[in-house]
Formats: sequence, structure tokens, C-alpha cells
Amino acid sequence: MMPDPSMSAWEPEIRPRQTVWQRLDHGARRLLPSIFIALIIIFFSAPLNIPGAAELLPAIVIATVFFWSFWRPTGMSGVAVFLLGLFMDLVGFTPLGVSAFILLLVHGVAFYARFGLMRLNFLLVWGVFALVAVGACLLQWGLACLFRLAVLDIAPALFEALLTIGVYPPLSALFSWVLNKLDEKEDP
Amino acid sequence: MIPVSIQMRQALGKLVLPLLVLLSIGIIIAGQADRKLADQARMTVADGLAPLWGLMTSAQHRVQAINTNLREAGRMASENARLQTENENLRRWYDVAVSLTRENDSLKTALHWIPEPTPAFVTGRVVADSGGIYARAVLLVAGTDSGVHVGNVALAANGLAGRVTETGARSARILLITDIASRLPVMLDASHATAIMGGDNTPLPRLMYYAQDTRPIEGERVVTSDQAGAFPAGLPIGTVHYLHPGQPVVVPFAQLDHLSLLRVFDFGQALIDPPDAPGHVPLAHPRKTLTLPLKTLLGQG
Repeated sequence: MMPDPSMSAWEPEIRPRQTVWQRLDHGARRLLPSIFIALIIIFFSAPLNIPGAAELLPAIVIATVFFWSFWRPTGMSGVAVFLLGLFMDLVGFTPLGVSAFILLLVHGVAFYARFGLMRLNFLLVWGVFALVAVGACLLQWGLACLFRLAVLDIAPALFEALLTIGVYPPLSALFSWVLNKLDEKEDP
Repeated sequence: MIPVSIQMRQALGKLVLPLLVLLSIGIIIAGQADRKLADQARMTVADGLAPLWGLMTSAQHRVQAINTNLREAGRMASENARLQTENENLRRWYDVAVSLTRENDSLKTALHWIPEPTPAFVTGRVVADSGGIYARAVLLVAGTDSGVHVGNVALAANGLAGRVTETGARSARILLITDIASRLPVMLDASHATAIMGGDNTPLPRLMYYAQDTRPIEGERVVTSDQAGAFPAGLPIGTVHYLHPGQPVVVPFAQLDHLSLLRVFDFGQALIDPPDAPGHVPLAHPRKTLTLPLKTLLGQG
């Protein structure tokens, strides 16, 4: 076999070169969660008259980042999380970089604990996620207080944390289904 | 891709996350230090996304319109009867209004009343609720291209909604009166006493710093006051309501939780130059332009 200058030569396993279509397919699979979050951010910024839309958006984003970071880190890389957080800040008029920081921390926890988390059953994972969500919401509240130099009402932060914890099971069911579908397509 | 060894790549991969966290902290600090740049970046993004949001809201409005049409069709007859009686009633009021307008005109002529300049305004659709949890603000599709400037006053159908804080070419951000950063000088309509209305991110902004001998009365109208020069006097805001004894709040006339259209008025407050009065301490107006008074008058006329 000829030495191949492309990156596939440096992959740990030997596999045939991908066609353009396969590459597009793989790229789309990797970007699927990021595109989902970007669309959710745009969707929830529009005035929809949904009660609690302001709290629901970070809840869905945190739950999605956590789920993909520990089940499929290739689908939710650190760079993607950073860019999505920055996009959320730009659209949502929160202080620039705050959401990126919080989402990166959530991603980091899920990413480094993923081998431990995968062995646990769903309820325990949910418990760990609840702790992460409460931490993220309190951190967001603390940073908001810091930037306003005033102690803000903590009730919205707690409501957001509860919403984040509550939104995880349905989202996790949806994403598990998506993951199963993707895997089915991968090895028929 | 640069060909590097697997160990090297793994080491680099471990470095990415801490680097990104540091970068985000750097962006937080940079965004606080240079707010103008951060606002510019935001408004560029908002400008780009404004058409998309416009599409979404227009679809939503269409669905709502169809829904209301279907519901209205069911009670057409009763609605018709109600409208007929209301029309008769209104016709009587029309006559009263016409006679009152005539009387008003004649009285104003007798008094040599100087008419106030009608302010220029643009109407825009609210396309995004850009506040999040810790702020109350909306995004409007009308920017500097249509003559919206920072500091302009935004009115909903029946009351004050907020003030323009940031503008892009096609969109403007409006800080609502319920935001925690909002502090407005207001006047209580019945007693003509002044107070400050401060938002606290709840739907009901608080009344503060009112005189202890003229306390706000339950149900009293609250209008803007021209004390700081930011607002013209007399724009309706809401009514006084006591949540607890000693804690008056304002119930806004405008439905701030679901705004759809906003009118943005340019009252040109900066153009009103008070004449120099002897004995007064001259106060530098923050936005006063350095022009001769005569030139301003000519420019307005």
C-alpha cells in the first residue's frame, strides 16, 4: 500500500478511504447535535409566548451538551460547545462569554466522567446531571450578580435548575433513539 | 492536517478544553472592558438573524389570525348585534368629540397656544425576546436605517414600553421598563408628585423616592416626567397598585410579556435648549449640541 499523506494514514485503525458522500454523511452526523442546539437557540429567541421560554432555552442547551458530551464526544467537541455558547451570548444579550464558560464546564464534567457515568444506570446519571445543572445555574446566577454588582433574586435560577433537571429525561430518550438510529445505519 | 504522532495528538486533545475555558474567561473580561465592541458584535448577529426571526413571527401571527378567524366565525350573529349597539353609542360620542375639538381649537386660538411639534416615529415588529433570565429586553426590526437612535422612546399600543439602548442597521434593542437596570423619573397624575420607577425583572416595577407627604394612591395613573430630559412629560405608563402596605408598584398599561408591535418615537429632547436665565447655575446637558439657538429654531422650522 502506498504511503498516504492524508490524515487517514495516521488513524489508529486501517480503513478504506471514504468517498465524498461518506465524508458528508459523517460530517452531518457529527454536526447534528450542534445544529440542533443552534436551531433551538434561534427558535427560543423569537417571541413565542411560551411560558418560561427564557428558562427553557438554557435548560435544553445544558441537557443536550451534557448528553452528547458523555455518550458521543465526537458529536459535541469542546470547540463546538464554545462556539455555541458564544452564539447564545450574542443572541441572548447575556454578558459575552458567560454561557460559553458555563457550557464548557458542563461539557468538561461530562467528558472526563464519561467512563464512570456509562457504567451507572439512568437514575444515577440523572442524579449526577441534577448536581451539574444546579451548579451551572448557581454559577450563572453568581456571574449575573457579579456583573450587575447587586444580589439578584435567586428564584429564577432555582426554577431554571429544576427545569433543566426535568427536561433531561425526555431529551435523553429522544437522543437515545437518535443514537440507535444512527448506529443502525452505520452497521446494517 | 499536520502529521503528528498519536501521543502528541492526544496531549493536544487534552489541552483543548482548558484552553477554551481560559479563552471564554478572556472573552468575559474583554466584553466587560470594551462594551462597545461587544454590543457591535451582538447587533451584527441580531441584524443577520432579524429576517429569520421575522419569518418565524409572521408565520406565528398567521396561525393566530386563522385561529381567531375560525373562533369568530362561530359567534358572528351575537358579535354583530353587539357592534351595532356599540356603533350607535359611538356615533353619539363622535358628535361630542367633534364639538369638543372645535371648542378646544377656538380656545387655543384665543390663548395664542404654541403647538407642540409632532414627534417623528417609526413602527416595527418585535422579533426576538433577547432578555434571557436576568434582563428584560426585546429586539425590534427597525434600526438606524429607518431613523432609530439610542435613547429613543418605545411605546406599545397603550403605554410606555421602554427605551432604545443599542442599534444596528436593521434592528434595535429596547430595554423594557421592567428590566433591573431601568430607572425612570415618573409623575403621579393625581398629586403631580414625582417619583422614580425602578424595574426589578418582575412584571411590576416598583415606585421609589416619592415624597412622604404625597404617597401614591391605589389606582392612580402614572405618567412620565421630563425631569432628567430623557422623556417628554405625560406619556402614560400604568396605574399604582399596592402589593403590600408601603410597597407601591406600577401595573403597566402595555402588555410587556407579549409585545408584537412597538412605535419608536424620536422626541428630539436634545434639541430643546432652555434659555439662559441669570442667577441659574448652568448645567451642561449631556447630549446638547453646540449650535446657536437661532440655528436650532431655523433647523426645526
